[in-house]
Amino acid sequence: MARKDFLDIASLTREEVDHLLDQATPFKELFTRSVKKVPALKGKSVLTLFYEPSTRTHSSFEVAAKRLSADVIDLDVPHSSAVKGETVKDTVDTLQAMRADYIVVRHKMSGLPQAIARQTKASVINAGDGAHAHPTQALLDAFTLKEVFPSPAGKKVLIVGDILHSRVARSTSNLFLKLGVEVGFLGPGSLVPKLGPAGITRFTDFEEALKWGPDVVYLLRVQMERQDVPSFPGLQEYHRVYGVTQERFKQIQGEGTYIMHPGPVNRGVELCHEVMDYEHSLINQQVENGIAARMAVLYWLKPGTSEGEPQHETD
Amino acid sequence: MSLLFKGGKIAAEEGPLVPGDVLVVDGVITAVGKKLEAPKGVRVVDVTGRIVAPAMFDSHVHFREPGQEHKEDLAHGSEAAINGGVTGVVMMPNTNPAIDSAGVVRTLLDKAAEVSRIPVYTSGCITKGRAGTELAGIDGMRKLGVTMLTDDGDPVVDPALLKNAMEYATPFGMFFASHCEVPELAGPRALNEGKVSYELGIKGSPACSEEICMDRDIRLAHAAGAHVHIQHVSSALGMETIRWWKERGVRVTAEVSPHHLIFNEDDIGDYDTHYKMNPPLRTEEDNAALLAGLKEGVFDLIATDHAPHSEFEKSQDFVTAPNGITGLESALVSLFDRFVVPGEFGWDLLVKRYSAEPRRMMGLPAVPIEEGKPAELIVFDPAGETTFTREFMKSKSANTPFLDQTLKGSVDLVLLGNEILLERD
Repeated sequence: MARKDFLDIASLTREEVDHLLDQATPFKELFTRSVKKVPALKGKSVLTLFYEPSTRTHSSFEVAAKRLSADVIDLDVPHSSAVKGETVKDTVDTLQAMRADYIVVRHKMSGLPQAIARQTKASVINAGDGAHAHPTQALLDAFTLKEVFPSPAGKKVLIVGDILHSRVARSTSNLFLKLGVEVGFLGPGSLVPKLGPAGITRFTDFEEALKWGPDVVYLLRVQMERQDVPSFPGLQEYHRVYGVTQERFKQIQGEGTYIMHPGPVNRGVELCHEVMDYEHSLINQQVENGIAARMAVLYWLKPGTSEGEPQHETD
Repeated sequence: MSLLFKGGKIAAEEGPLVPGDVLVVDGVITAVGKKLEAPKGVRVVDVTGRIVAPAMFDSHVHFREPGQEHKEDLAHGSEAAINGGVTGVVMMPNTNPAIDSAGVVRTLLDKAAEVSRIPVYTSGCITKGRAGTELAGIDGMRKLGVTMLTDDGDPVVDPALLKNAMEYATPFGMFFASHCEVPELAGPRALNEGKVSYELGIKGSPACSEEICMDRDIRLAHAAGAHVHIQHVSSALGMETIRWWKERGVRVTAEVSPHHLIFNEDDIGDYDTHYKMNPPLRTEEDNAALLAGLKEGVFDLIATDHAPHSEFEKSQDFVTAPNGITGLESALVSLFDRFVVPGEFGWDLLVKRYSAEPRRMMGLPAVPIEEGKPAELIVFDPAGETTFTREFMKSKSANTPFLDQTLKGSVDLVLLGNEILLERD
């Protein structure tokens, strides 16, 4: 049931999800050894293409590939512009010439990794495309959730913030739903989709949402750069209405609710400073698990299993 | 040349198909009736089981000339039209340079006379270079026969400028075609705002972007005493907007495209750019409302918005890939397959909305199958089928979801005056 590409969560089966999550465990155990490397991908090359600036995802993929003994080539691509003047086809032809086995791509255009995947034999891993998907983030989130709740079905996760522009919200909520987790959305009316995925509880008020009894509050990063037209009046007001203020933190602490955040955190916006040192904050754990989750994905994919045809359907 | 089409059924804009033979002598229909005898030297075409219909006319096509000939040009575009049973087209002026002056119009019409086997008409820009700031060379274009003014591809954003243009050009007998959109609402103009735009993570263009501008342009036309034609209506409320104004006696006409009737946002699937056009495909409910609007006469005509793009352009990511879908070759067959076969409407609607009404809007006579009328007709085989392979299509581009699909119905013959433009065996 190997696939060529890892592009989104929506097309994954429950079996594939479980397999990947199981696979990440032994990789994580590796990190505590003195030699953190396995020869699984020796002789293979992983090309990273980050058209959008990224520190943690980029380095996480790099570390993951190196711990699998793959050669990592970072293609220095312009951050701000799209593939202007050069079509996807031309880019892919260039990449093809480098004979990469895996291409890790992040781009501000939703759907760009899909377009590349259709046209190359290499395995394409989506490291975040526009507001569409960030499937490895979802995987590491699910892995992290399972570390605190080995049977996550029936647990409640409240996702808070800019749902509309967030690829993390899309992929992570999608994967959590696949695991039987109950998902809630809370965010400004202008940043929560009116027609969204089914099976999600909508909240407009933080206090109401906390009464729902979430086991995890998952805070999304406020991305001012993604908003061409203002969607809320300002960061202070955002913090007051949708942030984990000191007052809400007390309540969260009292309940022992876990906190997650994909990073990087805007302190004083999504959460108050105190949350960073909270014993039930999973934020640093998420970063570490990112490496294990990405190793599991790289190890699972099978490059060149088709002539550039997408292999989205396994059923 | 003389031809006798024997054994077929004749389509007209009113009423059901009527069995009858059609005699054409030197490009004119000289007799229509049952069991016509072939005079000496007349070629008899056996059309038993087939339909003889007025040839179609498409008032909204992009032939990309001048400036983007890698997508389409006059020669290929007009052959694509013939391939789909269309014997007259109106080009849109969003070329490079734009069709905004007598010079460009003359060059194009001269070229068309040289390379096209069917009459090609052109619209002209409302504003110079479609930039929305200065009025185009309206009088010069009018003298060369341009009657339709449009900045198609974009709206005229400044309502004062559009109102002035309407007041200026209406006394010349010209009319306006509006591409309706509020740019501030439309975002990157990639797809409908809704369920699918959320799933795909792309900012959608809400239907209200189109509806607000539509309402604005009709109000402006009403105030200016102009005739405005609303292009490619894509939403249920857009259709209702047209109906509302028509019921109040305002001079507005409107078109619907085959793709907005047939497809919706769910077809986009995994970023399939064949389903990317502007206005975008909306919902299944909109499909149903548009079809009802067409049947109830809210839409005056069907037009394809034939918008060719090369494969490499369409293979870019969904947001970057250009908007548009080809339509000339598949329009008639796809409408037959999707709507006539299941009994949604009949040939009378096809003839009225895709042949007679668009010609009338352009100030041209309709081309009914009647004695004494010039022969401009097609033979259509309802039992045949068409597979839209790359080889079948004459357009330079193949950006259509019908690529390699087989649909019911086939345009077997196209006759224009004294010339058989197409004959398939």
